Amino acid sequence: MTSEAPVKHAVRVQVNERQYEEEVEGRRLLVHFLRETLGLTGTHVGCVVGECGACSVLLDGSVVKSCLVLAVQADGRAVVTIEGLERNGSLHPLQESFVSRYGLQCGYCTPGMILTALDLLARNPRPTEDDIRHGLAGNLCMCTGYMQIVEAVREAATVLAGATPDLA
Amino acid sequence: MISAERPQGTSVGKSVRSHEAPRHASGRGHFVDDYRLPGMLHAAVLRSPHPHARIVGFDVTEALGLPGMVAVLTPDDVRSMSRPFAPGRYAAGLRTPVPEYASAVDKVRYVGEPVAAVAARDAATAEDALDRIVVEYEPLPPVVGTSEAMRRDAPLLYEELGTNVPWRGAVSYGDVDAAFREAELVVRDRLKMHRYSSVPLETFACIASADPTNATLTVWVNAQVPDVIDDALREGLGLRDVRIIIPDIGGGFGQKIHLIRKYVLITALLSLKTSRPVKWVEDRSGHMMAGGHACAQEWDVEAAVQRDGTVLGLRVRETDDVGGSISTLTIHFTNKLNNLFNTYTTQHLSLEGSSVVTNKCPVVPNRGIGKPGMCFVWERTMDRVAQTLGMSPVEVRTVNLIPSDQFPYQTPNGNIYDSGDYAGMLRRAMERIGYEELREEQARLREQGRCLGVGLAVAVEPGGRNAARDLALFPGIKGVSGSGGVNGATIRLERSGMVTLLLGSPNCGQSHETTTSQIVGDVLGLSPDRISVISPFDSEVAPWGSAAANSGNNFHLYDIGAAHDAARKLRERILTLAGHLLNTDPEDLVLEDGAVSRRSRGTPDQDGVGPSHAPSPHSPTPRLTFAELGRVAYGNQALLPKGFEPGLQETSYYTFPHAEPFVVPDEQGRVRAQFTFSAAVHIAVVEVDPATGEVEVQRYLIVSDNGTIINPSVVDGQIYGSAAHGISVALGEAFVYDEDGRLLTLTLTDYGKSTALETPRIEVEHRPMPSPFTTLGQKAAGEGAAIPSPAAIASAVEDALQPFGVRVRELPLTPEAIWRLIGSSAR
Repeated sequence: MTSEAPVKHAVRVQVNERQYEEEVEGRRLLVHFLRETLGLTGTHVGCVVGECGACSVLLDGSVVKSCLVLAVQADGRAVVTIEGLERNGSLHPLQESFVSRYGLQCGYCTPGMILTALDLLARNPRPTEDDIRHGLAGNLCMCTGYMQIVEAVREAATVLAGATPDLA
Repeated sequence: MISAERPQGTSVGKSVRSHEAPRHASGRGHFVDDYRLPGMLHAAVLRSPHPHARIVGFDVTEALGLPGMVAVLTPDDVRSMSRPFAPGRYAAGLRTPVPEYASAVDKVRYVGEPVAAVAARDAATAEDALDRIVVEYEPLPPVVGTSEAMRRDAPLLYEELGTNVPWRGAVSYGDVDAAFREAELVVRDRLKMHRYSSVPLETFACIASADPTNATLTVWVNAQVPDVIDDALREGLGLRDVRIIIPDIGGGFGQKIHLIRKYVLITALLSLKTSRPVKWVEDRSGHMMAGGHACAQEWDVEAAVQRDGTVLGLRVRETDDVGGSISTLTIHFTNKLNNLFNTYTTQHLSLEGSSVVTNKCPVVPNRGIGKPGMCFVWERTMDRVAQTLGMSPVEVRTVNLIPSDQFPYQTPNGNIYDSGDYAGMLRRAMERIGYEELREEQARLREQGRCLGVGLAVAVEPGGRNAARDLALFPGIKGVSGSGGVNGATIRLERSGMVTLLLGSPNCGQSHETTTSQIVGDVLGLSPDRISVISPFDSEVAPWGSAAANSGNNFHLYDIGAAHDAARKLRERILTLAGHLLNTDPEDLVLEDGAVSRRSRGTPDQDGVGPSHAPSPHSPTPRLTFAELGRVAYGNQALLPKGFEPGLQETSYYTFPHAEPFVVPDEQGRVRAQFTFSAAVHIAVVEVDPATGEVEVQRYLIVSDNGTIINPSVVDGQIYGSAAHGISVALGEAFVYDEDGRLLTLTLTDYGKSTALETPRIEVEHRPMPSPFTTLGQKAAGEGAAIPSPAAIASAVEDALQPFGVRVRELPLTPEAIWRLIGSSAR
């Protein structure tokens, strides 16, 4: 319980294809490491208990809720956050479909929603509406009623089916 | 007026590319927690573990000894450094003023009530410090239910009031007693709605940066209504120079209007105490406990009915469970003035209310505030009347709907419904859902023991708040409320030729930037993507007034009105300047693609007379780009017309031009509660599994009238989202307290929020009936579908369970609740 001199641990982690080496407290959550230590504020905090999905990121290619992972657990691994999706100043097709289909309102759930959808499409490139709804069931959105999010993911699936995805 | 020419652009009515979405989809949104200031400290709030207790001792020694700790804010600090909040219009019913500070100072009245706060070098240290603050409480017996609270011997939350029912009041329109004497029968019911909220994904967050030497304070906060924060800080801290910056808000829905002021004040006090910027971000359980709930409401309803289904009158007695604060005593009651008669021609109605304080979370505005309750009363009653008379629920409603040829229609309480075709919408909804076929299907399935149900609700969605509404009930609050509403917009053609627009309200996800860029783009003949809408909201820059609120469905009326008017003014100035420079009558000019040119005609009547600076003076169509105009307006005095004020910036403040009559209450208490009236018909088709009580929503159809639609994807999104919320409320979302006043639903899962899996597909069909009174015929789209959806689901579940003779009188319809309903009817 004492925080007299918190023990720090070295964490070497690749985030969005860039290597970082930082000293962190053992209790530091990955989400706080990304936001506060690295300044990647696109990953959001909605509950810190793994229920809302706003903090979803990819860890070694699979989606995780970064509030349920300690920063030290990411040591030696690769993380992709929302900031890592665009290429040469262009949005990833999935980001683009969230924009063009109005798959967001306040935008708070959006980064986590997009990374979860990316993971879904990597595993299931041609999802049905039901597949999409199952795939996104761990990510809450309080604004949209999910209709336009589902449409956005469906549209991205179509676009990506015709291209080679360079991520996930 | 220089030119009456209609805007050239045609982006209104289209789902143009969103202004906001790219920044959010790329992780570039700017939410309060994303900001960091130099030297910033982090705050944490200590909350009451007791529903009801007296604070008798306080020891912060151990907390202050923690390395990294900077300051503790105790109840004594709060009392000495700040003043109680002035009672606002939400508490207008309170006869004896009760001081309420930002934190508890002598008593706690709900679990989660803030009692102290700390500021430390980081959030983790601040959290650690909370464990080391010792508060000695003298627990008092909790008062949890309203009937318990209303007993004579009940423990009192506010001893100084001498009662747990600080307000009782009534409104009455028409001659209700006569309606009941005349009626052929009376239909009675007892109904209830529960505590829920919209649980925005982003919790409350605030950064306060005080300069005590200069008595100035800047706050960054995710608040929906700037004047609530402005008043709280000015009055609470005695500061004159308060600046409020509102960046992106991660969902509002009413949650971020009221109680957030407590935490802004606490954070500001910590900043004043430490002379450093302080950030505070609420945690999820804190929000569930203390961020505010929608009011639990109970009603005794009596309807005076004729055998043909006509509802002559309605008598409603309401009891509101307002929780452990007097600061929002009457909001769920007064908001019922907005949709008091819903879509019906009934002329006689009385509504009596009692507001009861209990040891639960205070109540706050929430998507519709009280209007979902009023709609629930009406729509449950309509179904009950149908059952009593053996009529179809469609027929009963049709008999009572306001006919389309009576618009604008004045309700007995003074609302003026601008436009509508309710019967047409209902007919269309029945046709699209295949009502007759569904009834046949229902009969077939019933033979197999399956329970299919079709439910129906009709509703108005009021928009554009009138601040004087509450004077109908509380004539004494004149100084507090004002009347009508004012909000502004500023538009500027920059030196570069870009157009920037500054709105008077914050944005919490309703695409205000996109929508207003379409409006002003059309006026200026400019594509919306060439208009930059400034964010964040900054109270020292934004042209804001009393209607500056991400609340009350205000945007469509006030912000759009102001943005449109400002753009019209700018357009006239652009034409004046261009006319001078092109030596052309402004009447003969058009704005197109960011340039002004002479209207093309069969034969150009004049050529080559433009001033020397004009591009291609001898070309057949002289033309000036916005950038060329910008350079003249901001830098070339010699070329300006005589008397022309340099610069190209216009500000407009909008008030609703058709606010009379009843912008203030007349002697009969008639007042316009809101100014525009969207409407919708909701049909739910559900199947209930009688063995498990589970409800599957098979179809959910909305036929909606939101007036002129500016951006269909935005309007659809608002409808989908608010319907999904209301459906989730009806089927499971709930704040649940145990009998000792402890909240059992501290997480989103326990609270029962629907996910993408439980949320049904929602079908929307638009039947826009433009308002004759608004700028472009637009009406509201925001709270709307959250108003009738709880009633539509209740109607459908009751219909499904008709073989069991079940009556749905309260929500939520969880599997357990349904199982119990079936069980009780079987016995």
